[in-house]
Amino acid sequence: MSDLRTEEYDLNMGPHHPSTHGVCRLLLTMDGERVVKVVPYIGYLHRAIEKICENRSYAMCIPMLDRFEYVTSMSCNQVFSLAAERLAGIEVPERAEYLRVIMLELNRIASHLIFFGTTAMDIGALTPFLYALREREDIIDLFEMTCGQRLTYNYIRIGGVSKDIPEEFTPRCRKTIANITEKVEEYKRLLNGNPIWKMRTIGIGKLDADLALAYGASGPILRASGVDYDLRRDDPYSIYDRFDFNIPIYHNGDVYDRYMIRLDEIQESCKIVGQALDSIVEGPIKAKVSPNFKPPAGETYTRIENSRGEMGVHLVSDGSKKPFRLKARGGSYPHLQLLPEIATNCMIADLVAIFASFDVILPEVDR
Amino acid sequence: MNNEELKAYIESNYASLMTFCESGKYDLWFEVKADNLVRVCQKLKDDPELLIDYFCNLGGVDTTENFEAVYNLASSKKKIRIDLKVVLPHENPSVDSVQTIWPAANWYEREMWELYGIQVNNHDNLTRFLLPDDWDQGYPMRKDWDAPDFIRFPDL
Repeated sequence: MSDLRTEEYDLNMGPHHPSTHGVCRLLLTMDGERVVKVVPYIGYLHRAIEKICENRSYAMCIPMLDRFEYVTSMSCNQVFSLAAERLAGIEVPERAEYLRVIMLELNRIASHLIFFGTTAMDIGALTPFLYALREREDIIDLFEMTCGQRLTYNYIRIGGVSKDIPEEFTPRCRKTIANITEKVEEYKRLLNGNPIWKMRTIGIGKLDADLALAYGASGPILRASGVDYDLRRDDPYSIYDRFDFNIPIYHNGDVYDRYMIRLDEIQESCKIVGQALDSIVEGPIKAKVSPNFKPPAGETYTRIENSRGEMGVHLVSDGSKKPFRLKARGGSYPHLQLLPEIATNCMIADLVAIFASFDVILPEVDR
Repeated sequence: MNNEELKAYIESNYASLMTFCESGKYDLWFEVKADNLVRVCQKLKDDPELLIDYFCNLGGVDTTENFEAVYNLASSKKKIRIDLKVVLPHENPSVDSVQTIWPAANWYEREMWELYGIQVNNHDNLTRFLLPDDWDQGYPMRKDWDAPDFIRFPDL
């Protein structure tokens, strides 16, 4: 028996594997079912958005950037508008700021619901996906009611927002967030006590705080590893300082914590939306911005807290109608870079769980 | 520490290494010489007053006269943010890797090398990843590069 030996082999996971959330190819070196090495290959969705934006006017960049991170395209609108406003020194009317916060937080909830559904589905529980998309549908309806779009909104514009909310928005939004706050408790009842779910998530894919920081992890992934860093509070933008909300922190940095923190964040976002609806003021929704918008020459790196971590743009203006340079930074890019660090030496089924818990979205990585 | 205090602190402690740029009104931009980059970054990270431990972003800029490598950095503990800019010549631009300080820089440097043709010294894996493996048509993000079917958007 002494001449029996195992041999390592290469396995291609993706680019069209359903659990890679887009088109990401992972080249795995396997020893049986154990992953010895992971090498991510990206670029299948590279559309050169940054190059295309250099040939567009500022207003035309916003729908282009909607495709940068389509699950939360409100954030893409917001980060670009904010950068352009900072360059040009535009004051946004107060009502528009409230509308922005409401939309951003609703979009965060929708994104976390997708995370909840797809992660559970990747790990093998199909039911949560159906639950999550049912609740997400209510939010998408609210967006459709406001701006006519269900996925790529082009709602937040430079200087404000494109349309005011219709009259029936407020009661329906209140109903929706009350429903979702309640439903999150149901999700927790559905999964948290489930022994299979616990076995598949607790202690899997541990990420400690130092490694997370060194690799530029951000958002829920960083906070699930115990680093208290949320740009809504620590690098304030818009009017987040007016709302009373908690920033959930977990300390184990495993798949379970990354899942729990997002469910908690949904509830916190519901609180923010509720407060914003209570305190919203009347007034104009858009500052006067010329159709030939030309910010003075200068540059800025502007960042906001997206559901997938820090989203930022480095925007350079040379004083013309088109951005001179636009570099979009998404949260998923460093997270995918981090994957080999923590997925080495795990089982292949756990690799799927870890990848799902990062909530990577590939259009954001490839741009 | 707010932006004015941070600017005063940098100007008194890093006067020989970093020079203030006027380019950004909202954020703090400093120019760093390419030779000093790694030393400055290490110092910023170790400085107990700054603790720049978070690497946000790195991007190249082609100003047509020269190249710029732009480092957007932050501190998660001190809640501050700072931007560094390295101006490189248009001929044979090269910059040292900072991945020993922030491992996150790895992919950003690879991308800058691939799309701008800025050489990154001491990088452990400088291979293509956004473009096809057999790409031989130059550096697409440079200003003098246009796609074969490119149509310039008309001036409104």
